[in-house]
Amino acid sequence: MKARMKARMKARMRARMRARPTLARVAPALLGAALAALALGPALGWGLVLRYDLLFVPDAPLLPDRGGFPRAVPSDLVVAVLSRVLPVEIVQKGMLAGIFVLAATGAAALVPPERRPARLVAAACFAWNIYLAQRLMLGQWALLLGVAGLPWAVRATGLRWTRLAAALLPAAIGGFQAMLISALTLMPIAVARRRVPVVAGILVVYSLPWALPALGSGAVTDPAGVDAFAARADGPFGVLVSLFSLGGIWSADAGLPGQESWWSATTRLLLVAAGVFGYARLRSRPDRPAWWGGLAVAAAAGFCVAALGAFPAGREALKGLVALWPGFGPLRDGQVYLAPLVLVAAVGLAAALRSGAPALVGVVAPVLVLPTLAFGAFGRLAVTTYPPEWRAVQRIVNDDPAPGALVSLPWGAHRAFAWNGGRVVLDPATKLFQRRVIADDTLFVGLPDGGRLRVRGEDALNRRVAGLLVAGDYAGLPARYVLVAASQNEFSLEPAGWKTVFRGEELHLLRR
Amino acid sequence: MLRLLVALAIGALLAVGASVAVVNVASPALTPPNQPLYNYGTR
Repeated sequence: MKARMKARMKARMRARMRARPTLARVAPALLGAALAALALGPALGWGLVLRYDLLFVPDAPLLPDRGGFPRAVPSDLVVAVLSRVLPVEIVQKGMLAGIFVLAATGAAALVPPERRPARLVAAACFAWNIYLAQRLMLGQWALLLGVAGLPWAVRATGLRWTRLAAALLPAAIGGFQAMLISALTLMPIAVARRRVPVVAGILVVYSLPWALPALGSGAVTDPAGVDAFAARADGPFGVLVSLFSLGGIWSADAGLPGQESWWSATTRLLLVAAGVFGYARLRSRPDRPAWWGGLAVAAAAGFCVAALGAFPAGREALKGLVALWPGFGPLRDGQVYLAPLVLVAAVGLAAALRSGAPALVGVVAPVLVLPTLAFGAFGRLAVTTYPPEWRAVQRIVNDDPAPGALVSLPWGAHRAFAWNGGRVVLDPATKLFQRRVIADDTLFVGLPDGGRLRVRGEDALNRRVAGLLVAGDYAGLPARYVLVAASQNEFSLEPAGWKTVFRGEELHLLRR
Repeated sequence: MLRLLVALAIGALLAVGASVAVVNVASPALTPPNQPLYNYGTR
């Protein structure tokens, strides 16, 4: 009788154990999805979010010709391919929400499975932090896709090469910044685990789509970008503390509302300090993961790169490197290399807050420390739709079999349309057309004193056209089309031989 | 028990701070003026 009861109890226990792991396994994904819904909020409605680098267009060409550094390769190709089978609005939402889910599940996967609450702490911390928030405000979804996949790649460094290749796919889609961050994070781990050939091989192969065009692009890198994109203080404690707190992005416009307050800066700092402390304590524990040392080295190296821009000597050194070889250009925006430190903080916090009430607080703390990321950062991320004029000019230009480039005017890299709530976004013309688009790639960065830093464009043809425009030589423009978006500027194109083929309230398309 | 109390206290403190931050941000702000020039960002 007793034996039967024992057997029944054992069976019940086994059934419970079977049920729990299923829930435990999907809990980080559910948490990631919940955080995505909370952060994106209004951005999940029907339409497209257009903000700074976050530029999606309908019917984008598969292989656009933009000149300059292949910054959106192969991310734009992937979006264009997916948009052939799904509405681009769904593709964008999938990418944005996928960042949160991928980040949460990956960070959770770095915590031993039996520590279920701690896995959620890591998930919440890695999917909701100021690094992710600021880069999201700057629209750098492709970079964030790679960052979100980082923990999966860290985990896969000790597995078969096929698993590592699969784990690095998000970074491969993301393009150059995502791959550079992955390389910074994975190479120290690969050295420690004696997996350099495999890891380096996959990193090199996945970098070919952007590295090969970059080498042949003839793009130049303006050292002035070092000053423009150097890390800046986003709180009252200075640049270094901002960086240690996982913030410090160069643009104040990429900040979250209220991030500069003492309360926000202090709580962010304490949360990261607790995470780093927890990570350091992992060193002496018997369950220290094999990637512990490598990830610590990567985080320290990333912090040093980010901090270079905080000092005049560091900025001068970076300018020297960029002047020496344009390939050092990606070091200008050094704050981006904080990604491994974000992962260290997430894993460390999970190690410090393992169970019970502390773990529960650890799950909600990232959101409470950074509450203004919620609801699309209170309206900073919101959806819009392109006015029909944009689709009309896209059809006219793309249906034309005759070759020739399109010049986009007014001559400026960014636009702020009323239909997009005045949010600044990269000129949509640069991604709309199946022909070479000549547009200004000079970047202007505002300074607190009202001045502006000018970061010279990268592409030689763009610079040549800029010279023609300054000289008023509209007849000499090396293009078949000119697209003029309504602005305060007037261009005397028709006297120079250009004929109107479309004129709307906002857009004016002319053909030679 | 002490860990529980400390965790609850920290959680409550963070919740209060978050509420204040949200109230500050949710307050109506002036409409920003139109800008003729669009920078990539402002330092």
